[in-house]
Formats: sequence, structure tokens, C-alpha cells
Amino acid sequence: MKLLEVNNLKKIYSSRFGGNQVQALSNVTFSVEKGEYVAIMGESGSGKTTLLNILASLDKPTSGEVLLQGKNIVAIKESEITAFRRENLGFVFQDFNLLDTFSLKDNIFLPLVLSRKSYGEMAKRLKPIAEKLGIEDILEKFPYEVSGGQKQRAAVARALITDPQLILADEPTGALDSKSTDQLLKLFSEINNEGQTIVMVTHSTKAASHAGRVLFIKDGEVFHQLYRGSMSKEEMFEKISNTLTVITTGGAANE
Amino acid sequence: MNKLFYPRLAVINIKKNSKTYFPFILTCICTIMMFYIMYAISINKGLDGVNGSESLKTLLSLGTIVIGIFSAIFLFYTNSFLIKRRKKEIGLYNVLGLEKKHIAKILCFECIFTSVISLTAGLIGGIILNKLMFLLLIKMLNFKVSFGFSISVPSIIKTLIVFCSIFFVTLLSNLFQIKILKPIELLKGSEQGEKEPKTKWIMTIIGLAALCGGYGIALNVKSPLAALNLFFGAVILVMIGTYALFTAGSIAVLKFLRKQKNFYYKTEHFISVSGMMYRMKQNAVGLANICILSTAVLVMLSTTISLYAGMEDLLKLRYPRNIVVTARETNKNQIQKLDETLDSELKSGKIDMKDKLYYLDNSLEVIKKDSKFLCVNKNTDKSKVSMIEVIPISDYNRLEGKNITLHDNEVIFFSKVKNYTDDTINIDNKSFKIKQRLDKPVDGLNNSMIDLVDTYIIFVNNIDDVGKNSFKEYTTAFNIKGTNKEILSISDKLNKKFSENKIKANAESAVAGREEFLSLYGGLFFLGIFLGALFLMATVLIIYYKQISEGYEDKERFEIMQKVGMDKSEIKKTIRSQVLMVFFLPLVFTVIHIAFAFPMITKMLAVLGLKNVNLFILSTAGTIIVFAAIYTIVFSLTARVYYKIVE
Repeated sequence: MKLLEVNNLKKIYSSRFGGNQVQALSNVTFSVEKGEYVAIMGESGSGKTTLLNILASLDKPTSGEVLLQGKNIVAIKESEITAFRRENLGFVFQDFNLLDTFSLKDNIFLPLVLSRKSYGEMAKRLKPIAEKLGIEDILEKFPYEVSGGQKQRAAVARALITDPQLILADEPTGALDSKSTDQLLKLFSEINNEGQTIVMVTHSTKAASHAGRVLFIKDGEVFHQLYRGSMSKEEMFEKISNTLTVITTGGAANE
Repeated sequence: MNKLFYPRLAVINIKKNSKTYFPFILTCICTIMMFYIMYAISINKGLDGVNGSESLKTLLSLGTIVIGIFSAIFLFYTNSFLIKRRKKEIGLYNVLGLEKKHIAKILCFECIFTSVISLTAGLIGGIILNKLMFLLLIKMLNFKVSFGFSISVPSIIKTLIVFCSIFFVTLLSNLFQIKILKPIELLKGSEQGEKEPKTKWIMTIIGLAALCGGYGIALNVKSPLAALNLFFGAVILVMIGTYALFTAGSIAVLKFLRKQKNFYYKTEHFISVSGMMYRMKQNAVGLANICILSTAVLVMLSTTISLYAGMEDLLKLRYPRNIVVTARETNKNQIQKLDETLDSELKSGKIDMKDKLYYLDNSLEVIKKDSKFLCVNKNTDKSKVSMIEVIPISDYNRLEGKNITLHDNEVIFFSKVKNYTDDTINIDNKSFKIKQRLDKPVDGLNNSMIDLVDTYIIFVNNIDDVGKNSFKEYTTAFNIKGTNKEILSISDKLNKKFSENKIKANAESAVAGREEFLSLYGGLFFLGIFLGALFLMATVLIIYYKQISEGYEDKERFEIMQKVGMDKSEIKKTIRSQVLMVFFLPLVFTVIHIAFAFPMITKMLAVLGLKNVNLFILSTAGTIIVFAAIYTIVFSLTARVYYKIVE
């Protein structure tokens, strides 16, 4: 079953008076099955952040459509879009985006509070997630009191607690050390195994090698994609890095 | 390197930071202007030679000192705000290769530029406005003084000395701050201090106790004299209470709210409560400052306005006729001589004496013990003393146009003391029967003490029968026609004659009294407006700076919340409510403070002779409304800057 369909997405940025036009996405089409773990890779300026922003309904495409479970999120009214985002999407950001005025627990509760859930239900939902992420002991701490890895796990908990259709991760390992990166990637694999669909934008070959499928974007188009199939992480890693070499050196894809 | 490099960089810096520097320079200019004007007026020779000019000058030079001290504290405070905001920029210079001594050079140039600009503009403005202010003062005092346009050189010199030292000290503190910081810290300078505040229960309790104590004193004060003694203590307690409750109390309340899970985890409360906690942590002292300054402004203005406006009542009370002659510690012989002198003097000047009244009275200082009054000697604690005024019944009959006869042991009685309901009055073990109680004081008598201490007025057949009679006082008052100048010269002539004839008496004219009152209360009023304006300016600037610094910090939070799933209008709403709460908290507390201070201040005004409570209510309400209006305007103007930053 297709969870997410992206059809002929095009995004052109123009400066305020229409002078300079920059094409960020020229024609992007792909789809994500329910339960899939997809990594999107590409160089700086290839358009991956633009793509993610459009998927996150933070930005509107110039043309094309994005269907989440058959519903075109591009056409959702401005007034409903935040509620839609809150209920269907979970976000993990490179710089965590935790509010330093809240304890980790309250940060995790934030989307639920906004959806007006009762405290009892929030607490009930938090318990298994906190256990899984290993953050039960630090829930009362504040973001500035914990390490980057712990912050990112709290951010993952915040994304998971609404039980979203899709988790969008923007360079989630970008600000983490290698040990925390390993932990986070392991975590992503685990929640994916439990059926959670994840779309992750990343620079890191290592992070991408955990995914089930890797999309490569170049010059605003899906340039190539790799399926993991039965490959081990190491084999996947090698494949990805070969592909990246081909992309950066300008060769055409042969596979 | 080009010689002009540092000065040019300094100019660029000031321009680039104009959002914060412009208000700072404006404040400097205004304070300099005020200082110059106040000092120039206080040493202006044009004020000499008027009744009460000495007290006026003392008042104004006190005002100069207050302005000086306040400017120093306030400019220092705003400067520290400015430098905190700029730490990142300065850190960047350091990282880019400017050594600390180069940065110090830039800061010196900046300081020189701002000082020169503000001193020049401030002094020019001061010299121009000085005349206007002097005119205003003269108008308020009803003085007739001739003067031309003048520049007060001593005032310029003093202003230069005071403000150059203030600027120099702020520069030193800036240099010191730069010296002790490392570049990495400089880069992060304005991003520190995000720790969650701790609950300080002890401080909260102290604050609560201090505030209750202060309010309690204000509410329970009985006599006006006690109010004068206790006022200062009450003010200190309320100040302590305000600071403690703003800093610790607010946090304690918010933390308590956060513990109420079902309250806290609601969309409307969730973000506000935690946001407020951090706002209060950063702003508590500033807000407490605003609160106390506003209270000071309002108390000062409302009292001085009342005193100024209520002056005529005061004069009427003190001077029932336009000339009043009193003779203290007097006797029959003296009184006769006095009357003769008066008659002959007025006859020789062909002056008509009208509405003449005269009476004799004997004031006894007594202590009430078991419903008996005992005369006291001079060493007794004055705050427990009551007054008994003994006046002959013949004087009463004449003043009131009645014909009452009394037995020797009977009295007619008047007092405002509420709980005295006895049928007799016992003075120094002599008992008198109260034949009649009056329900209002007799016009024309000197009633000025009635509201200050417990006073009992009795009219008797023979005043020598009651108590000691060492303080017999003879008063005669009458109206004469003439210009103010003529009346003044007559009272002067009378006084001269009295001393020639060895009569212990003193003639006062309502005209001279008015001049004295005017220069005192008019001076106070002028000072009230002046300091009020200064404090208001400080309040405005604090609000402005608070809004700006809040804005920069909230910008990030705003973005995160949007990403996490809050829509723009919701965020705007919560931010708005928080900002409103933070900035109107001081105003609310100010009004509460004033409400509690009201009874106490009313009593203190009674000491100064102002008994018109309605007038005081009116002027207090008026000043509060005007102040709240200004506050709201300032708030909405600065809020615009804030929203611009956040979006």
C-alpha cells in the first residue's frame, strides 16, 4: 500500500520582484510504501531540504502534488495545515529544536498538549516510548542539562508520541557524535521494524546505509535509487558511496 | 593602519546598533537637560527676595541631587544592557583579529562620540528649555520676577563634571567586562542564562511578610504624627516586598501552577506558564524597578498636586482674616497694650478694621489616664499627648453671637475624638460637667491642631480655673482693605511697633502666608512634575529595552513552536498574552501599592494642613489614569518593535 506519493513536484524560488529565478526542484516523482525506510541523499543545493519542507507541508510546491494516504496535502487549507501536520507527521531535526524552557518530558508532550489530550493519556503514551528510547531517567531534565544524543532521542520521542503516519527526519545525525549516531540509527531501524514509516534526508552514507531504499537527488530530480534487498549494511554502504562518486564526478548512472 | 580606522568603526557601530543606541543617547540628552535646568534654577538669583525663597531653593537643590544620583544609576543600568547585547559583535571582532586593546580603543571612541553628542545636545536643549521651565515655575509660584535670557555658566560646568564622570565610569566598566571575558564567551555572550529558575521559598515568605507588614502599617496608622514617623519604614518594607515577590514570589506561583497537572497541560496554559517563568527570571528586577518608580511618580504627583490645589483651604484655616495677630504666653497687661497699639497704629494710618475677632485660649498638654486628664511636663513622649484648649465662654458667645451662661463647674465641649462619651471631664483632678456638646468646630478659632492630635476644646467661665495657665494665647484677627503690598507693609509696621512697645506678639498677613505656601507647595509641585517626568522616562526606556531583548530571545522559540505544530495565530496569541502580563504586572502592583498607601498619605497630608480627602482622591485617580494611559501608549509603541523582531 502506498503511503506517500510524490508526483511531478516542481519548485521555483523567485526573488521578491521576480528578477532571479532559481529552480530547486524540477521534476520529482517517487512513492513510499507503508512501513518503508527511505533515505534521500544529495549534495548541498540539490534540493533535498526543499523537498523535505514540501513533504512537511511547511512549504508549497510551484506545481505537482503530494499525496499522503491518497490525500493531497498541497491542497489543504492554511487554517487546517498545522493540525494536519501535528496529527500525521512526526519531525526529527538536525538541531533537535527542543524548547529550552521546557523539561524533556514537556517537550515530548508539546504536540499532545496542542491537540488537547488529557494528562492521563499523555502519560500513558509516554511510558512505552520513553522505555524504548531509554530516556525514562532524564525526563525531568532540561535540554541544556543533557547530551546531544539524549536530546535527539527526546526529539524522536516527541515525533513518535502522536503516533504519526510518517516520520520526516532532516539530517538527524548531523549534530551527533559517532556513538550517539550509532544509537540513533539503531533506534530508527527498530522503530521501522515495528512498522513505522520513515523518510530521512541525510548527507551521511552511514546513516543512509541503514535505510531500505536510498533516493539520490541531483539538480532537482530523482537521479537514481538503490534498493537494499538482501544486502548487508556494509555492502549497502559501499554501493551508496560508489553511487555518490559517480554523481559527484558527473558520470551517468548505468544501473 | 589608517588613523581614522577606529573612529570610523565606532561611528559605524553606533549606527548599526541604532535600535538600542538611539534611545540611550536620547535618555542621556534628557537627563543632562533636566540636570542643567534644575541646577540653573536652583541657583537663579531671580528667586531671591521672595517670601519662602530659601526653602524653595533648598528644595530645588535637593532635586538636583536626586536627578544626579538617579541619572548615574540609570545610565549605568542601560549601558550594561547595551554592552550585554553587543558581546557577540565584540567577540566577533576579537575572533577576526582585533586585539582587546583595539576593541578598547573602539569602545573609547564610541563613548567619546555618544558623550559629546549627548552633552552638546543636552546642554543646548537645557539652555533653551531653561527659560521655559523657569517661566513655568514663576507662573506656578505666582512670583513677579524680572529676568532675561541667561546662560548659567556654573550650571554648565557642574553638568559637565557630573555627566563626564558618569560616562567615564560606564566606559571603565565596559572595558573591564571586555578584559575579563574570553572570545568564545564573548561570542556566546548574549545567549547565556537559560537555566531554569529555582524556587526560593524563604525569599518569597520574606517578601510576603514585608509587603503585609508595609500594608499593615499603612492601614493601621491612627494619628497623623505617627504616620509621619512610620511612613519611611512602610516604604522600605513595601520596596523589599516588591523586589522579593517579583523575583521569588512570581517563580513560586508559576512553579506551583506547573505542578497542577490538569491545569498546566492545557494548550492555553502550557506555553504561557513556562514562558512566563523565564521571562520573570530575566525581567523580575527590571519590572520591580518599574513598579517602584511608577509608585514614586504617582505618589509624588498626586500629593503635590493636592497640596498645590488645596492651598486656599489651608490658607483660610490658618488665616481666618487677612491679618492675624497672636501673642503667646501672655497676660492681661500685655493684651491691653497690644490692643491699644493696634488701635492707634491703624487709626494713624486711617485704615479700616473689619470683621474683627479676638479670643483668649489656654492650651494644655495632657495625658489621658482612666478617663482623667493629667497635665504633663515637657519631657513626656509627645506621641501620647492629647491637647485640651480652654477658652472663655464670653469669647464663645461673641464669636457665635450667643448668650450662654455657665456655672463655674460647667463646660461646653467640642472634640473630634470619637470614643469620648463621658458626661464630665476631669482635668488635674478637677471635674467639670459637660453642659453641651458642639457638633462642629467654632469658625475663626485656630483649629489647625484638631486633626493632628486628640484635641478637646472646652469653653468655661474662668480659664484660670483649669490646669496650669502658662500657655495662654491671645489671638486677634481682622480684615483690612488694600493691595497685597499695603497689607504686607502694615503687618511689618505692626511687628515693628510690637517690639518697640515690648509686646510679645506677632502679626502675620494672609498675603505673606500665601507667598510662603506657594513657594513651598509650588516648588514641590514643580519638583514633582520634573522628577515624575524623569522617572517616567526611565520607565519607558526600561520597557523599551525589555521588549527588544525579549524579542530576540523569543524569535527562536517562535520558530521551533511553528515547526512542532503550532500555527502562527496561536503563537501570536500566547506571546501577546505573556507580554501583556509581564508589562502590566508592575502597573497593577503600583495601583495596589497606592491603594494601600492612600490612608497613610491622607493622614500625612493632614499634618501639612490638607484635609480635603476628596481632592486627594481626585488627584490620585487623575494621575493614575494619565499615567496608565501613557504607560499603555508606550507599551503599544514598543510592542510594535517587538513584533517586528519576532516576525
